[in-house]
Order: sequence, then C-alpha cells, then structure tokens
Amino acid sequence: MEPQIGHPSADSGTSQIRSPERRDRNVKRSLGRLKPYAPFFALIALSLVIGTMNPRFFEFNNLIRVANSAAIPLVLALGMTFVIVLGSIDLSVEGVLAIGAVLISLLVRNNGNANDLGWFGVVLAILACGAIGCLNGVIHVGLRIPSFMVTLGMWFIGVGVATLLLGGSTVRVLDKEIRSLALDRPLGLFPIAVWVALGALGITWVIERRTRIGRYIYAIGGGEDLAALSGIPVQRVKIIVFTIAGTLYGLGGLLAAAQLGQGNALIGSGRLFSTVTAVVVGGTALTGGEGGVLNTLVGVMIMAVLGNGMVLLGISPDLQQGVQGILIIVAVALSLDRARLKIVK
Amino acid sequence: MNPPNKDISGIPIPRRTFIRRTAALAGATAVMSIAPRRAFAAGTPTVVNSIRSLSNPYHATWNQGGQAFAKSIDADYVTLVTEGDSEKGIADIRAILAKTGGNMVLNVDPNDSPDARPIVEACVKAGAYVTTQWNKPADLHPWDFNPNYVAHIAFDGVTYGEDTGNALIKAIGGSGGIVALGGILSNTPAIERKTGLEKALKANPNVKLLDFQVANWKSTEAFNIVSAWLTRFGDDIKGIWAANDDMAVGTLEALRAEKLAGKVPVTGIDGIKTAIEAVRAGEFAATVSWDPYWQGSMGLSIAYAAKTGKIDPAKEPKEHREFYGTGVLITKENADEFYKTHIESEPKIDFNDYWGRVTGQIRQS
Amino acid sequence: MLSVEHVSKAFAGVQALDDVSVEIGINEVVGLVGENGAGKSTLMRILAGVYVPDHGSLKLDGGPIFLKSPRDANLNGIGIVFQEQSLLLNLTVGENIYLGQEAEFTRLGLVNRRRLYAAARRQLAKVEVDIDPRTRTSELSFAARQMVELAKALALEERTERHLVILLDEPTSVLEQRDIDILFARVRALKQRASFVFVSHRLDEILALSDRIYVMKDGRVVGEMQAGTTTVPRLHQMMVGRDRHAEYYRESRQQAPREEIVMQARGLSVKGAYKEVDFVLHKGEVLGIAGVVGSGREELTRTLFGFVPQTGGTLQIDGHDVRLTVPSQASDHGVGYIPRERRTEGLVLSLPIAVNMTLSSLPVNRITGAISLGRERQLAKKWVDKLHIRTPSVEALCLNLSGGNQQKVVLAKWMNARAHILIFDHPTRGLDVGAKEEVYELIRDLSEEGAAIVLTADTLEETIGLCHSILVMRDGQVTARFDAAQGRKPSQVDLIRYMV
Repeated sequence: MEPQIGHPSADSGTSQIRSPERRDRNVKRSLGRLKPYAPFFALIALSLVIGTMNPRFFEFNNLIRVANSAAIPLVLALGMTFVIVLGSIDLSVEGVLAIGAVLISLLVRNNGNANDLGWFGVVLAILACGAIGCLNGVIHVGLRIPSFMVTLGMWFIGVGVATLLLGGSTVRVLDKEIRSLALDRPLGLFPIAVWVALGALGITWVIERRTRIGRYIYAIGGGEDLAALSGIPVQRVKIIVFTIAGTLYGLGGLLAAAQLGQGNALIGSGRLFSTVTAVVVGGTALTGGEGGVLNTLVGVMIMAVLGNGMVLLGISPDLQQGVQGILIIVAVALSLDRARLKIVK
Repeated sequence: MNPPNKDISGIPIPRRTFIRRTAALAGATAVMSIAPRRAFAAGTPTVVNSIRSLSNPYHATWNQGGQAFAKSIDADYVTLVTEGDSEKGIADIRAILAKTGGNMVLNVDPNDSPDARPIVEACVKAGAYVTTQWNKPADLHPWDFNPNYVAHIAFDGVTYGEDTGNALIKAIGGSGGIVALGGILSNTPAIERKTGLEKALKANPNVKLLDFQVANWKSTEAFNIVSAWLTRFGDDIKGIWAANDDMAVGTLEALRAEKLAGKVPVTGIDGIKTAIEAVRAGEFAATVSWDPYWQGSMGLSIAYAAKTGKIDPAKEPKEHREFYGTGVLITKENADEFYKTHIESEPKIDFNDYWGRVTGQIRQS
Repeated sequence: MLSVEHVSKAFAGVQALDDVSVEIGINEVVGLVGENGAGKSTLMRILAGVYVPDHGSLKLDGGPIFLKSPRDANLNGIGIVFQEQSLLLNLTVGENIYLGQEAEFTRLGLVNRRRLYAAARRQLAKVEVDIDPRTRTSELSFAARQMVELAKALALEERTERHLVILLDEPTSVLEQRDIDILFARVRALKQRASFVFVSHRLDEILALSDRIYVMKDGRVVGEMQAGTTTVPRLHQMMVGRDRHAEYYRESRQQAPREEIVMQARGLSVKGAYKEVDFVLHKGEVLGIAGVVGSGREELTRTLFGFVPQTGGTLQIDGHDVRLTVPSQASDHGVGYIPRERRTEGLVLSLPIAVNMTLSSLPVNRITGAISLGRERQLAKKWVDKLHIRTPSVEALCLNLSGGNQQKVVLAKWMNARAHILIFDHPTRGLDVGAKEEVYELIRDLSEEGAAIVLTADTLEETIGLCHSILVMRDGQVTARFDAAQGRKPSQVDLIRYMV
C-alpha cells in the first residue's frame, strides 16, 4: 500500500498520539477555521448588544447614518489595505486627503476664486493624489527608503502644500453637484457618497481576487524574496499599490469636501490612526500577506457601529477612548494565530 | 561562497548617495517651518510670532496681524510654527534668540502650558521682550520677570461659553432640549467654556441638556456624533452648542445632510470666516471672535512698546500684565458689520492702544 | 543537452566557481556532491538564473543561452526546487504552482480561477499526489510541500519547447525516510519527462538515485563518474581528499562516564506528547534518544531545555528538583541547547560571531555593569581557535559563515556560558562530511571534559556510534534501553525493533 503524502500530517514537533487527544485536535482545528471570521462575529455581537440596549440603533435612518459615517473611512482604509497586505505602511493618508480636498475645493465653484471646473476639477484632483501615491512608491522602490519614512515625509509635505495653497484658511465648496454627493439620497436610501464607497469596495475586491496584481500583492506580502524569484515584478507592483492608495485617498478627499462643504489643510486630521485601526481590527495583519478588503469592510463597520453606539448609549466621553483601546487589543488578540507565533514583539 | 546581498533591483546604492538623498528630502521638509523674510538687520528689533501652525484660519489671521504690525514699524518679521510639538517650539525660539542676540520681541501662543516657563526664561536671559497668550502655568507671572516678560493675554472661556449658551437659548425660544459638544477634555478652554455653558443652563431651568459629548475640536468627529444624536433624540434636539467653530461646522453639515440646517440653531466659538457667514445665513445662532488679527499684532506691539521704553512694565498695574482680552460675540445683529470690517478687509487696529481691550485681570486660581 | 562551459564566479574576492564544466543529458539524473563551500549551490543557482557567471557560458542543445533571471531559466526549461522551501505559505497550492505565470489564465485583466485550479490538478497528478490545489500551503506537511514544489517545476513543461531540467537542491534534508522513498520513486518515474540535477549531502542517496555523478571541491570539478562504478568511501575521499576513517564516530575515544549524576528524570510526562520517562545522565555521558517522528523524543528534548515544561513526574538537575518553564531557567542551571534550526533558533545571524558567542553570558564589568568589548573579543578568539572555526575575523557576521561553522558558534556560546549539560538536537543536519567529523570530535572533547550530553541525532548510525547509552521511544513511551559502550554497540536492527 502506497504511503500517502497528500493528507495534512503534523509538522515536526507535534506528535500523533491517538484517540481522545486527536478528537481534541479536530475540535480545535474546526474552531481554528472560524478564527478568520472572528471580526465579523464581533461586529454582529456588537450590533446586537447596542440594538438591545437602544432599539433605535436598528432604525432605518440610523443605519443610513452609520453607513454615512463609514463611507470616507472605508474608502481610505481600502487604499491602506493593499499597502498593508504588501507588508508596507502608508502614513501619508492625511496629507494626500488634504491635497485632494483642497484641490477640489479650489478647482470647483468655491468662495475663494473664480474657478468652476466641476467634475473635471475632481478628476484632476484625484489624479494628482494618485500621482502623489505613485511618487511614494517610486521613492520607496527606487531609493530603497522604507515606506514608513517616505510616507511620513509625504504626509507633512501634503499638509504643507495644502496650507500653502490656501494660505492657512478654509475655502467653501459652492458647487451643488459636488455637495449632492453628501446631501442627496437617491431613492431615499443612502447618500451618493455611500454608493461611491461601495463602488470602490467592489472594484478593489475584484482587483484583490481576480487580477494578477491582487495575487502578486499577497505573494510579496507572504515572502518578497520568493515572489521575486518567481518572476513577479515586485517593484512595479509596489508602485501600483501606492498609486491605488493615493487615488483612493484622493477619492476620500472628494467625499470629505462634499461632506463638510469645505476644504482645508487639516481636514484629514486624525484619520491615519482610525484608518490603520480599521484595517487591523478587520483582521488584516500588519505583517502582510493576510487579510483583504472584505476584512477591512468589517473593520470599518465595527468602528462606525461603535462610534454610533457609544453616543446612543450615552457612554461618558471619558470612557469612550478607553473603549476604543480595548476594542483594538481584543480584535487583534482574537485574530492573530498566536499558537503559531513563538516570538511576540 | 558568501554571496552579496542581492537586492531585487540589482542596483547597489552607495551609502553616501542614500544619505545625501535622505538629507535633501528631510531638509526640504524642514524648510517649511521657518519662513524668514529678509536678512536680519542690526538695530531695529526683530518681531517674532510663535504659533501652532499656519494651516488653520485662526492662526493664519494671527500671522497676518503680525505682518501688518511689522510693516508698520518697518521691522524684520519671523513666524515660528510648532506643529503641536513643544520641543520644537522651544528649540526654535532659542535659535532665534541666539540669532538676533536677544534684539527681538516675541509674541507666543505656547503649544502647552508648561512650555511658557522655559520660553520666558530663555527670553529673559537673552534680553528679549515677550508676550504670552492663552497657555501658561498658574504660578508663572509677568511681574516676577520685570521688565522682559511684559504681559500674558487670555480670553475668558467661561464668559464666552456662557454668552454663546445664552445666544443659543434665546434662539430656541427659551425652552427645550439641547446637546453640547466639548473640546479635548483636558484643555483649559474646553473646561472654561463648558463651565460657561453650565452657568447659562442654570439660569434657564426650562432648557435641558440632553447629552454632552467630546469631539476633540474636530469637525469630522462632531459630524459623526451629531448624526448619532439625531437617532437618539430626534426632534427633541432644539439647538446644538459647540465649544469651537470647527465642531460647529461639522455639526451644521450633519444637520444639512438631514435637511435640518437653519432649522436647528448651532453655536460655535472662534469667529472663523465660515462661522460668520453661517451666522449671516441664519444657520448659526452665534459665534465669538477673538480677533486673532489683534492677537497677532497687539501681542507684538505691547512687547515692542516695553522694549523701546514707551511703557514700563514694572509700573503697570497687574491688570495690564495678566489680562483677559475682548472677544466679540457675533450674532445676526452685528454679523454683517463685523464681516465687512474684519473679513472683507484687514481690520484697522490702533497699534498704540495697548490696553483698550482689557476686560479684567485673569482670575488667580 | 544542457552544458555549463568553463564557468567561473566570484563573490567579494572569494572564488566560488573556478573553470567549471558540466554536462546534463536528456532523461538522466546527475548527482552533484561536494563539501559545503565546494560550489554546488553556486552552480545550481547559475543554472537557475539566480546568478550570472563572471566568465564562461551556458549552452542548450548546442546554442548559447543567457540567463539573466529565474524567468529566463524557466523559459529555457530549467526549474529549481530549493532546499529551503520556496512556496508562499499564505497562498494556495494552485496559486503557488502558477505564481508569476497567471497570464495564461487571464483575460481582460481577470484571472479565471477555475481554469487555474484545473491546470494545477493536472500538474499535481504528474507527481501522483492527492492534494486539493485550493488548500492553503501552510496547512501541508513538509513532504507534501516538497511534492508541490516538484509539481511547480514540472509545470514548466507546458511553457517551453526545450527539454525540462529540474534542479533538486538538497530536497531530502527535512524529509523522513518514508517520504524520501516516495520522492525517489517519483523522480525515477519522471525521468522520461525531465532530466534532474540532484544535490545532497547524503552520499548513499546520491548513489541510489543518480546515473552520473560530479564531485566538486573548492570550486572545481574534481571527478566525474557513473554512479554504478563508485562507492561512498571513494566519493568521500574525492570530496575531502582523505580516507574516511573506520573511526568515523571516533569510537575509540569513547570512555566510560563518571559516577556523578547531573540529570535525572522520574516519570516525566508532558500531556499529549510523552509519559513515564525515566533516565539517569552522568557526567561525561552521551545519552542518545532514538525514535521516529511522533515518538515523543522531540518534545522530551524540548522539556529538558525549558520550552515545554513537564505536566507530570520529576526532573532533577544536579540534585535539585526543577520545572523549567522558560529556557533562561535551563540556562541558569547550566543547560545548553544546540538546536536543529541553527539559522533561526541558535544564532542571531545578523550579529557578529563575537556577539553571538557571548549572548548567554556577557562579559560584564563588575563595577559599571557595562559590557567589556575587549574581553568579549578575547573570548571569541579563544573559541574560534579551539573549535577551528573558519572565519576571517571574530567580527564577521554569522550569516556569512557556512553551516558547519555556524554550528560551532552555537556550541561556543554554550561552552562560554559554562553549560555542563548540553542538548544536541540534530547537530549535523545539513553539514558536509568534513564538518560532521569535526562535530563528532567536539562531542568527544566535551565528553572528556565532563560535560553531559543528550543527543537526538539524524541517523541511527550516528546515535549508535556516538552514545554511551540509548533510550528508544515509541508513541510517547520509552520502549527500550541500550548500553552502547565501546565494543558492545547494538546494531540498527536491534533498535528499530523498538521504534516502529
């Protein structure tokens, strides 16, 4: 009888003691298969808890509000997701978002100058943000500077340029069509901004699952040297990933400008932390090679539901930051495969 | 046998090139912060403003005031930006003190209260004259550092929190439910303004505070909180009080998304252009302007007057050394006028009227 | 069909290959042997397109080819199966097989996953292995992954007109015997489709599998012969330039251990791994533990060093009862551990030799608490001399050393820490013959000096040759004890009876 190599046998180190222990291991393995879904279950659980304590949570209008508050974070986090799966990090979110929002505010009809470029202005601004992302990638890859440093610098450059463009002040967006992104609700459902975010989700999902680039992102995240040896154009992939991220941040800038009706250099302030948190809470590992856009969707929803819920439940502002901190630790603890990690840094 | 690290691109980067390129990148970023105008002239003192950043309208206007003052006395003008980094703020000030040999006057909005002490001490040591605004430790007093530490200017958060609270209560007709958004919990202005609101509420028992949340001075946070409030309280919310204009703007947009802009009055504090326009449009009930143009110019003027001997700080009463300035409550009544004089044109300030806006000595706590 | 002609390659002044010429014919298995540093790896990587030769050329079917990247090699029908696995664990099997080659399944920018997995199934069928290509690679055993790598190399068939050449770089180091047999069976079956170049340290395997063999030494080819016409000792001789001793394990140096007991176990158990293990370890004794994967010997070894504390029974070191919950406790009791994964568990590769040697016992100035760098360097030099570690200096980074020398640095670390009980976990894995012999000498030296050694060896032969006494384990229990004193050694057959 030919010995079988196929079935997953134990790695070196774990022994094959029979019967009751094996049954234990099978149970553990089934639980292990559920682990990647932990954030999703957490989201459901959180929603149920909040909804039980304040049923207004499930009101149609409130669900729309929650979705609305998740739209911009989702778009930003989608951009960040690919970067993190790659194994890098992108600190330039706030700067690129600012450039996007400010450029749009200055190019469409506004109260600061005579421009009225409408959607053409929007396209220009988003392309500019994509170009900044591309620049991030090129500097990272060409000069071999860690992504942490490059994007950190680009963050400050972005905010600085946005400040220069506006002289430090704010400019109001008067273009009704742009504003309608946030204010109009087609069919009485979600504001257009939410549909835009869902559209971005759809596109990034296709990229992740069905394109070669998506596959390569995971390969590089899983082992860059090996990926290179397999003939994957690592440099090109990295640049593309950063460009996608920049473009999505620019899109986020559009939605922010529409939402607040203005552009200013600090419009993105505080978003870096919440974006990375959403990605990590959703189950995408900071080490790379794991996770994906659906994970990020769950992560963003958790943060949005939590933010909404804490106000609905009247939780004291003093406690809210603490709650967010606990959330992060619990989420990461649940999703990490700690049994595999011998060393924890 | 020992293969070299073969990098993916195959191009080895010589270390020196790497360092040079990184330094260039870093240098370009650093240049952003200090923007000297001309070479330093000996003789006329340099006038220096130190503020958090130029990226917000408040400080941008502050800076404009400073520029105007410098121009009026034909002096060199320097803006220092802390970017929220105390160490950087202090270091930059030390650097400029050294560069000018102490021949300068400084108007500073310290990043955080404890920063005021090392800043004042450095100025005293170098012989420069300094005015501080907003933040300082309670036990640091200008009269202990005659004549160099000329004055400290702040604005009474309690008064204006109460004023805007009253304006909101008036706008909702004297009774009903309101919600309030506070700034960063540990900030003095946040605490003071909240106290003011509470005073206003106490005097109006028919008005109920449904909830108080913290939006950390940010418009996006305010947006999300207000959205959730609308779920929780719905029509019960008759008005929304915000501790600053940025949060009030976020509030307004959240209302606009629910088609409630103009129907639910909002108040803010800071007097930024957007806020004043909102007051004119009937969407804000009130805001308060500190007149940062005045802050940026008069802070310099007072210190300059002390340096040139026009005033002797030691002889001025305590009320002129640590005082509350005047904020202007902007409501529908005066919004149009204020807009014309302060927004559409550069305000006309009499740089020699040092004490015209003193409303009282700062409370010793 | 594929030939390497007068190829030379140097790295940072060290000549890895010097005028090497090799021929690989159609449908043959060519074996490549040589000590570490002989140039086998470099030659393989040149064939695989990872390195470019400084001089010389490659010819395929008579015409010259220039391989500037692994992709070029693939296009010419050359695929490599690495020693350290080159599969991405976070991808599926099918994705790994076609990594970088998805173009053929892509239309309008979208990858057709169904076609990809169907194609992957076809490749896996070539190696007759039953794995669902949608499985995540991390869930497979080493042996299964090896097969996937082979399938991945075979997938080249469909992308090239050329004859397929598959380079096998030490594929057997991490496999159990059963899996090795399967691998060899596959290779023999696949000879019809591809030629193979097979590199291994295990000379008996080379002889078993190859048709023709090249022997390399110091960057040159020193011999070429038909496998059937040569023997292991002859190969050994050509590789190291000296006869293999009858005294391979230095058995004549084996002396009786002393009376003093340094470690004792009674009823030692770890739930789920092993139970009721008793043994006594004396000063100067080498105790071997024999058993197959799953016998519990790995876990027992790890208990002795504090990785997996016992759940029952007692362990005594120097007469004190101990329960080691972290390795640092073991180290404090004078226990040292030479791991099998020296690259990841024994050394910090990016640090210099001197630093690694003092990791467990820093020479610290008693007054200031600062590390004395001068003393550290002295200590390092002493050990480098004593253990004959080949390195230009004690500041050299450990990652630049050959496997055998790295092993010696690990040993030096523990000897420096004055460990008197040393646990050797597969100490000669991946080492060439010459380096192995040096390790055996060291074990004898240590034993003579009074150190007690617990040895988990790669082969039964090694266990029998080196040890004073042997514990045999099966399914978590000790099934036999053997006395292996000099002149009274048990045979492999004796042991196997209690192992399976």
